[in-house]
Amino acid sequence: MGSELILILVVIAGFSFDFTNGFHDTANAMATSIATGALKPKVAVIISACLNFAGAFISISVAATIAKGIVSPTVLVGGDGLELVLAALIGAMTWNIITWYFTIPSSSSHALIGGVIGATIVATASGDVNWHNLVKTVIVPAILSPFIAGGVAALGTYCAYRLIRRLGQREARTGYRYGQIFSASLVSLAHGTNDAQKTMGVISLALIAHGDISAVHFSVPLWVKLGCALSIAGGTASGGWRIINTMGNRITNVESPQGFAAESSSAAVILASSYYGYPLSTTQVVSGGVLGSGLGKANPIHWNVIGQMLSAWVLTMPGAGVLGGVAWAIADLFGAHSNAGAIVICLLAALAAFGLWTLSKRNPVTAADLDRTNVSPVEEAELAGIPPAIAAA
Amino acid sequence: MTLIASEFINWSALWRIVLAALIGGAGVVIVFGFLLLGVKFANNAKSSGGEWAGYALAGVCGLICVAAIVLGIYAMAKKPSSKPAKKTAAALIAPSFRSSS
Repeated sequence: MGSELILILVVIAGFSFDFTNGFHDTANAMATSIATGALKPKVAVIISACLNFAGAFISISVAATIAKGIVSPTVLVGGDGLELVLAALIGAMTWNIITWYFTIPSSSSHALIGGVIGATIVATASGDVNWHNLVKTVIVPAILSPFIAGGVAALGTYCAYRLIRRLGQREARTGYRYGQIFSASLVSLAHGTNDAQKTMGVISLALIAHGDISAVHFSVPLWVKLGCALSIAGGTASGGWRIINTMGNRITNVESPQGFAAESSSAAVILASSYYGYPLSTTQVVSGGVLGSGLGKANPIHWNVIGQMLSAWVLTMPGAGVLGGVAWAIADLFGAHSNAGAIVICLLAALAAFGLWTLSKRNPVTAADLDRTNVSPVEEAELAGIPPAIAAA
Repeated sequence: MTLIASEFINWSALWRIVLAALIGGAGVVIVFGFLLLGVKFANNAKSSGGEWAGYALAGVCGLICVAAIVLGIYAMAKKPSSKPAKKTAAALIAPSFRSSS
C-alpha cells in the first residue's frame, strides 16, 4: 500500500508539474503574437493550449527516461526510485512557481533535470551523476542555443525591414501578423511534443517501477498520455500572463515582423536540434529569438531584464536541485517508503504554491492588461519610436 | 582548448542546426516578405500580366512557407527521442540504494 500511495502522488505531481510547465511556457509561443496585437490574449492561449494538447500525441512512443545519461538509471527504480522521482518533481514544480512569481521565463526542462540531480545527490550521497554528460547534453546546448536563435532572428528581422521599405508599414504590419499566428502555432506544437512527453516518460517510469506496466514491451498507457496532454493544455489555457508580459513587452518592443522572425527562428532551432538529438529549452531559444529580433531592428533592449533572465537560467538547475534534495531529505526523515514523508512534502509544495499565488495577487497581470489588438497604428508607432507620418505611410 | 570544445560540442550537428535555422528561420522570414510583396504588386498592377506575376510570386512563396511548416511537423514526428526505449527498461529491477547509503 505504501508504494501505491507514493505512485498515486507521483502521478498527481507529474500532472501538476505539466500544468505549471503549461502556464510557465505559454509565453514561449504566444508572447510576441499578443504583444504585437496579432491575437487577443485569451484567443492566443486557447490556440496554444489546443496545439499543446495535439503536440502531446504527435510522436507515438516516448523515451522512458528522464535525465537520460545524466543520472544512473538504477537510482530511479523501485520504491526508493518512486520517492526520488516525487522529490524531483516537487523541486522542479516549486522552482517553476517561484520563477513565475518573479515573472522570469526559465526552463521547465532544466528544472526537472535539476530536481532529479539534487534528489539523487542527497539520496545516494554518491557520484551517481554523470557530470560530463550533463555539460555535453544540457549545459553546452543551453549556452549555444539562444545565440543561434538570436543571430538568426536578428538576420531575419534585418532582412524583413529591408523588404518593408518596399512594402510599406501598414501592409507589413498586417501581413506579418498573419504569419505570426502560424509561426507561434508551430512553436506551441513543438512545445507540446517535447514537454508533455517528458512527463509521460516520468509517470511511465514510475508505473514500470511499480510493476503496473511491462518493462520489456514498454508503451505509454492512454490515460497517461491523455492526463499529460490535458494538464499541459490546461496550464497553457490558464494564461501565465506574468511571464507573457516579460517575454513580449519587457525585453524589447516587438512589432509583427520582429515577432514573426523571432518565432520562426525559434521554431527552426528547436525542431532542427530536436531532430538531430539535442532537445533544447524552448524558453531559452525563444528568449534568444526575441532579443535577436530587437537587435536586428536596432531597438533599445532592456538589459536589466536580460540580466535577471540570465541569472534565473544559471540558477535553475542548482535551485531546483536544492529544492529536490530538500524534498527528499524531508521525506527521508519519516523513514524508507514512508507514506507520511511523501504526503508531507506534497503538502509543503502545495502550501508554497498557494502562498506564492496569494502573494502574486498583490501585483496581478491580467489578459486585459496585455491586449494590444485595439492599439491604433499611431499608438503602436509611438511605442516603437516611429514618427507617425512614417507609420501612416 | 579546441580539444575540450570538441569533446563537448558535436560540430557536425551544430553546423547542421545552424544551417537549418538559417533556412527555416531567416529564410522563411524573407520568403514570407516576398509573398507580401507579390500580393502588393498584384493589387497595384496596371496590367493583367503584372497582376498574374504578382500572384505567381505570392503563390510560390506561400507554397515554400507551407512546405516549411510540413517539414517542421515531420521533424517533430521523426525526432530520435520518439523511438521506443527498450534498453532502459532492463535496468528497472534494482536493489534499494537506501540500504547502501
